[in-house]
Amino acid sequence: MQELAYPLWSTAPVPTLLASRDCANGELVFPALPEASPLSAAHETVSIDGAGEVYSYTVIHPGSKSGESPYALGYVDLPGPVRLFGRLLGNDRPVIGRRYAAQPDERFGYVFVAVDTPSVT
Amino acid sequence: MRDIHILGGAMTRFGRHPGVLAPELAQQAILKAIDDAGVAKSDIQAVYCANVLGGMILGQLVIRDLGFNGIAVYNVENACASGATGVHLARHALLAQQYDTVLVFGIEQLTALGGGTIPLQRNDHKTELYAKAGMVLPAVYAMRGTRFLHERQATREDLAAIAVKNRHNGSLNEYAQQRSKTTVEEVLASRMIADPLTLLQCCPSQVDGAAAVVLSTRAAKTAKPVKVLSSVVVSGIREEARDDILDAEITARAARQAYEQAGAGPGDVDVVELHDAFTIAELLYYEALQLAPRGDAVALLRSGATQLGGRVPVNPSGGLLAKGHPLGATGVAQMVEIMWHLQGRAGARQVLGARIGLTQCTGGGIAGVDHAASSVHLLGV
Repeated sequence: MQELAYPLWSTAPVPTLLASRDCANGELVFPALPEASPLSAAHETVSIDGAGEVYSYTVIHPGSKSGESPYALGYVDLPGPVRLFGRLLGNDRPVIGRRYAAQPDERFGYVFVAVDTPSVT
Repeated sequence: MRDIHILGGAMTRFGRHPGVLAPELAQQAILKAIDDAGVAKSDIQAVYCANVLGGMILGQLVIRDLGFNGIAVYNVENACASGATGVHLARHALLAQQYDTVLVFGIEQLTALGGGTIPLQRNDHKTELYAKAGMVLPAVYAMRGTRFLHERQATREDLAAIAVKNRHNGSLNEYAQQRSKTTVEEVLASRMIADPLTLLQCCPSQVDGAAAVVLSTRAAKTAKPVKVLSSVVVSGIREEARDDILDAEITARAARQAYEQAGAGPGDVDVVELHDAFTIAELLYYEALQLAPRGDAVALLRSGATQLGGRVPVNPSGGLLAKGHPLGATGVAQMVEIMWHLQGRAGARQVLGARIGLTQCTGGGIAGVDHAASSVHLLGV
């Protein structure tokens, strides 16, 4: 993952995803605002709970020429509240309402893994 | 407020036009539209060119050899709503009495891109992050489809029925790219793209086309001059954490404004051309345009009301699913189609007795909003 202009994960021993919280109304913005944003002064960077429930999903079936296997994408509703989009790993087919948790990922920055499946590395 | 009229319009066949460059393709629509309007080129006082991916100053390139003598050319980009936005801006200028008669055309050549999904606008951190994970517009619509099937008494066959209806209409339209009818079974058996959307539930990505209209403050000398009853363009509002992805908020907002501006309601609409880029979109827009109450989109479809011959036929042209979706041209082409219906010129797909028609374009892929832009117009005779 190339260097980002905003903090995606905290540097804590157990990293957490980061977002910006609007100081005026508490609304969360993900990903966190970059330092260069003129809006950043009105926000604070906060950790978010990366475990939540699938709101909706799809399974993408790339064309045969791509050589890629089908993969799942979805929206996950996290506490905060905040809704994130990302890859869903750990089940052949996601289910709405199923619990997933965010994990760091070198390629995508983060992925969601079904909480009852082994950690994906 | 002054009345704004569509004096005339035209479009090219939507489809593959190998070896034809943008000027030749767009000029076909422009010259036919001017002829249809019954005006001289010298009557045109400004030109609006709608396009998304064709490069800068495309409008000037297209009209260079047409003898417009240096009049103002405005190049308009607003994703899938570009063509409708061009008409909207032209109407502004006519209402402000800057011009009396103007030309609006839309042009797109997607075959030049080699096919595949249109990429998102990635010039922001959120969209870049989500696009890297795989966010593309088929995925966005597919997630709406999944949620729709989860929440509603709907089936995959209902989604497929939209494609069947619109492909039937396209079979009657000589301007449509897809002229063959299909069945629910064929739609569901076509290659899965983004579950639950199969290939025949996605508008074709290999399509070129152009469309043009002449707008004026004076009415056409025909029995049925077409008036622009309302014209609305809105932008997306940043999504909130628990937004309902089935409510098509940006489109519903544009529609409410358009009805209010026209002094008309959804029950007054006789024919609709809406943005069925994917089958699920048409069902969501039934409700956003208030053609059906919230939760009743499938019931409306199953009733047959939106078929040709029904109470309010939707996408008699075949829509984006059959006619094709050359981005910049789509909004203008929808208005040409509605104009033909209002004037009784739509041939085998004619909606009989239509007096008010609605067009809707919603699109633009950026993360964090429903869509970037939506435009709704009501036209009437």
